[in-house]
Amino acid sequence: MTEALLRIENVSVRFGGLVALDSVTLEVAPGSIQAVIGPNGAGKSTLLNVITGLYTASGGSILFRGERIDGRTPHAITRRGIARTFQNTELFGEMTALENVMISLDRFYAYGGVTAAWQGRHYRQIETSARDEARELLALVGLAGDENEAAATLPFGKQRRLEIARALATRPGLLLLDEPAAGLRAAEIDALNRILLDLRAQRQISILVIDHVMPLVMAISDRIAVLNFGRKIAEGTPDAVRRSPDVIAAYLGEKAAHAVGS
Amino acid sequence: MPLRPLLFAAAILAFFAAPQLLPEFYLFQICLIAGTALAVLGLVVVTGLAGQISLAQSAFVALGGYGASILAASWGVPLWAGIPVVAVVVAGLGFLLGQMTLRVAGHYLALATLAVTAIVQLALIHWEALTGGAAGMAVPPFEIMGRALTSGRELYYVIVPVTALFILTAQNLIASRFGRALTAIRQSETAAEAMGLDVLRYKAAAFAASAFLGAVAGGLLAPLSTYLDPAQYGITYAIYFLAIAVVGGMTSPTGAVIGSAVFVLLPNYLQAFQSYLGLVFALLLLGFIVLRPNGLSSLPWLRQAGALLHRTTGPKP
Ligand SMILES: Nc1ncnc2c1ncn2[C@@H]1O[C@H](COP(=O)(O)OP(=O)(O)OP(=O)(O)O)[C@@H](O)[C@H]1O
Ligand SMILES: [Mg+2]
Repeated sequence: MTEALLRIENVSVRFGGLVALDSVTLEVAPGSIQAVIGPNGAGKSTLLNVITGLYTASGGSILFRGERIDGRTPHAITRRGIARTFQNTELFGEMTALENVMISLDRFYAYGGVTAAWQGRHYRQIETSARDEARELLALVGLAGDENEAAATLPFGKQRRLEIARALATRPGLLLLDEPAAGLRAAEIDALNRILLDLRAQRQISILVIDHVMPLVMAISDRIAVLNFGRKIAEGTPDAVRRSPDVIAAYLGEKAAHAVGS
Repeated sequence: MPLRPLLFAAAILAFFAAPQLLPEFYLFQICLIAGTALAVLGLVVVTGLAGQISLAQSAFVALGGYGASILAASWGVPLWAGIPVVAVVVAGLGFLLGQMTLRVAGHYLALATLAVTAIVQLALIHWEALTGGAAGMAVPPFEIMGRALTSGRELYYVIVPVTALFILTAQNLIASRFGRALTAIRQSETAAEAMGLDVLRYKAAAFAASAFLGAVAGGLLAPLSTYLDPAQYGITYAIYFLAIAVVGGMTSPTGAVIGSAVFVLLPNYLQAFQSYLGLVFALLLLGFIVLRPNGLSSLPWLRQAGALLHRTTGPKP
């Protein structure tokens, strides 16, 4: 068995008396698409937030490519190769779609203050290259015509995809997606599925995706973990998870249990 | 575009023609506008772009003015050398103050920076041996190549080019990845961090820049006023700078100049309302916050004029 790309070991997160994550252990294998599902308040977003350094774990450890990342600042974790999107999109609203992506890219197209103040040929070359790569990433998620739109004015589905483009611009090895399919129509979910599968195939990016929507998760995930009240209650292939009685009872509820059973 | 070199030539021509054509009074006013604009430019960076409200600009201006004057009076360091040295030290203080934004934001940051202004003012009043205390101190003349520049007509040749240089530099930096990063931080610190930006360092750098510009402004305004009165560098002065930034346009370097011109010149035309001046400025500030939150520089014709002056605007390749 190969070493996990990301390994979360007995991680707990507490907010006062509330235990949002209770000793959760989870792995993302290199090149895999790992899903995490669970009902409202199960701790899914908390899981992403503790991986990316937004929240501090009250116990446990998180290893990325074999090195501890828990306790590091969010930007340091991003620079090591973990990128993310936000459940309630966190775009730079007044900036254009292109600029949103360039924020992540600028690190790879660095120049000094003097170069920026002078704005000579060298500066223009670097900026043009950055802009070109940003354009490519926007095209990749199907936003080729929206480069100069302010992010806040884009329709919801496009904002979601802009978040993915912006995360990809950090050149990650692992992409974390917080409910990327929520609020999308069926056709949009299909398009999203194709983008995610292409990312893995062409850019060797592993993906940890959180979702409520079973079709997305079922269609593209290699493995699914199920959270409930901060605990991992099941994990396995989509088929195994779908059949697990615990999952049906705790997560899918009575109605879904009937639907699956029939 | 042939228009830009033309505009530059016109600006240079106007720069050299003004001292020949205008009386001392107006040249003094121009110096005052330029110096004030430089201090406001600092706020454009830290508050307008980075979104960190600062009422410490008054303190930075005071430190620049007093610092350079004390160096000159007690150690014989000429102002032209003392101002940049003091500005670099004050920028360091600004950077440290910026570290505070790790723990303090929003209204609390406003209060914390206000406290800095209050503390500096108290220090100026009580450290009598160095500052002359509440009575204030005389500013040694700005000497360069054996000549003392004392009038607005003479200081004009220092203050206006320095301000122009910083305004143009700021405009280019704002268009670059540095301006993008600060703008992103203003819109969402969380997302900026998650995209790999060291948000704390950027905010501290923005505070350092505002402190640097404030100190240079203070250093240049000191010989213009010839006398430093600690009473001036209080909370009112800090709010005065913020008001100018709002009226000119919080994110616009040219707006800093426009706003400064309004606030420096207006009192001349409102002689009759002298005692209500504070009220006039307050109403101006309120009116802009409500009706034109992006300031004068967002007026369409002014924006176009600004775009002409700026290299990277216009149709993108
Ligand atoms: N910053 C916070 N402060 C206090 N409590 C929090 C915080 N973040 C999350 N929680 C709590 O932790 C629990 C898990 O929340 P989380 O957002 O991780 O759930 P989720 O699985 O993402 O739910 P949803 O499907 O609604 O997005 C909830 O009870 C929530 O109220
Ligand atoms: Mg959530």
